[in-house]
Amino acid sequence: MEINLRTSGTVTILDLKGNLTIGTEEELNRVITQVVTDGQKYVLVNMAEVPFIDSSGIGGLIKSFGRVKGEGGKLKLLNPTHTARQLLSITGLLSVFETFDDEATALSSF
Amino acid sequence: MQKPALLKIVDQFGVNKSMRLEKRVFTIGRRPENDLVLLSSGVSRDHGAIVYDDDRYYLVDKGSKSGLYVNGQPITRCELHHLDKIAVGGHDDCQIEFIEESSSVIFSSSESLNLSQIESTPGISANEELQRLARYVEINQAFKFSLTPDDVLCLIVDAAIEMAKAERGCLLLKNEAGQLEFKIARDSKRNLLSGADFQMSQTVVAETFKENRTVVVTDCLEDNQGARQSVYNLNLRSIVCVPLRHFRMNETTGATSILKHDTIGVLYVDSRLTRGTFSKSSLTLLESLAFEASKSLESVRLMQEEQGKKRLEHEFATAREVQVALLPTSFVQPAHFEVAAHSIPCRYVGGDFYDLLTLEDGRSALLLGDVSGKGISAALLASMAQGIIQALFDSQLSLSALLTSLNRVLVRKSDSNRFITLFCALIDPDGTFTFANAGHNPAILVRADRKTELLSTGSMLLGAFEDVKYQTQQTKLGPGDVVVTFSDGVTEAVNAANQMFGDMRLEQLVKDSIGLSAKEIKDRIEQEVLTFTRGLPQGDDITLIALKMRDVDPFAATLAPSLMPRG
Repeated sequence: MEINLRTSGTVTILDLKGNLTIGTEEELNRVITQVVTDGQKYVLVNMAEVPFIDSSGIGGLIKSFGRVKGEGGKLKLLNPTHTARQLLSITGLLSVFETFDDEATALSSF
Repeated sequence: MQKPALLKIVDQFGVNKSMRLEKRVFTIGRRPENDLVLLSSGVSRDHGAIVYDDDRYYLVDKGSKSGLYVNGQPITRCELHHLDKIAVGGHDDCQIEFIEESSSVIFSSSESLNLSQIESTPGISANEELQRLARYVEINQAFKFSLTPDDVLCLIVDAAIEMAKAERGCLLLKNEAGQLEFKIARDSKRNLLSGADFQMSQTVVAETFKENRTVVVTDCLEDNQGARQSVYNLNLRSIVCVPLRHFRMNETTGATSILKHDTIGVLYVDSRLTRGTFSKSSLTLLESLAFEASKSLESVRLMQEEQGKKRLEHEFATAREVQVALLPTSFVQPAHFEVAAHSIPCRYVGGDFYDLLTLEDGRSALLLGDVSGKGISAALLASMAQGIIQALFDSQLSLSALLTSLNRVLVRKSDSNRFITLFCALIDPDGTFTFANAGHNPAILVRADRKTELLSTGSMLLGAFEDVKYQTQQTKLGPGDVVVTFSDGVTEAVNAANQMFGDMRLEQLVKDSIGLSAKEIKDRIEQEVLTFTRGLPQGDDITLIALKMRDVDPFAATLAPSLMPRG
């Protein structure tokens, strides 16, 4: 899992690349912890290049969401792939994770 | 002062040796700490002892497996007399004779051994060489027994001392940091020496270890090499230091190979008393011993590793048994439907769970859950969830209240990135099917006329967020209708071409199996999935429940509304 950070205004954007599965979700949690520690409250996770998520990956997203929310921040998702969106739908998480198809709209929603 | 006596021993190689009984208790056994060490499979680790008491010698059995014999008679305790023949373990590949030296006749004329040989002066005789060779063969046999690691270390050092006719010796092994570490030191009387007191030439040890070759220093007092100054300071005379090399068994061919440049330790012996004792042949024997010792140390290491693995495997097997018992494979089949279920964990234990409960009001509850992650931690949470669910059903909560409670418990009790997806349903005797789906794959309902519905309520998975409301839905099942619920290990099973089994394939399979019984449907799906992934390791737990409504007995059906409670 490759994670690149960029910022746009007050929002930190995480560009994920690779499968979000058992083992790699720890990398996501590590980065999120760093972002939160740095005092950033608004996080947009770009999932356009995450072809597959397993249950541990879902766990990683839930944990990250909790970390950011716990600091009074918001975590939103950008462009989940079809497979990822399906899994988020089955697990009922689309009701929790605000999800966007367009970066500009996502950024202006924070 | 003890009455002088000795044991005259002719070992299995026909070699004579004798040992004076100078201790009050002289022990016999396979363990290297014994005074007389006998290395034969029939000999117990602590076999027996010769005890000096009240001016007499007694042979005492220390609870050995194969017993002690004096002049052919089994004994547990017996006084020894001059020329008594002792057999250890009943077999006579080693002959031991008890000799009282005060007796007028010490050896009968036919004996080949004489006292001058017992007290032989230093120097290499052909007989001594033979004895050492026999000792070497004996040691190699000993290595084949299952001894403890410490026994093996003792044995190696004792053998080295004996073969080199040295005064004392020690063994150092490389630790994980690559440094030589002191393991054990012994003297020629088989006493343990402490590492702190064991002064040795560090330069010789370092040279042997670094250069991976035998270093011999004889008559050091005349050796003027500065590098060996410490040898001089220790006032030692003769040293032999042999490297122990890494040894690896090639299991496919049974051939053996040594990786010459990897030294795992050194074997060190020295003598202060005698000069130039290390003959060429004893050096050769020492090097051979070092070779055998390396093999034994490697075997011991592998043995320990193996034992550790076995213990762990046993634990896992036990855990699996516990889990299998929690996941029933046979159910008391209700009157109105038949059900079959099975789970194949991808490791010893799995994170999937299922159950079929019969409630007090006559309804049945069916559940199938999947804990995120794999292995022991997932299995523990699965078992906990299964227990909580059963307890909640017993408290007669509605399905949505039950899930809300369960979710709350899981949020509080489980790690923040662990969660559970769950499909659960209540089945009334009249076929009313009330279900909730908490983030789990939709169950597949195929009607008797092959129409298919996916049972999903889109509710949130359990254990992630507090205060989630869970939706339930209701449908009515008729005779021949089939419901299949499963874990994602079924649909996400991957074949050699990296394709997933998939939802469509599963739906089609259930449709095609509509005429079969619940058990046949479950078996068929399981078989298809295993065939699909043939030869590949299972990626996730595979769990399935198949439920099929029975043909309703017309007589029972007419009575049903008045007799059967509604939920």
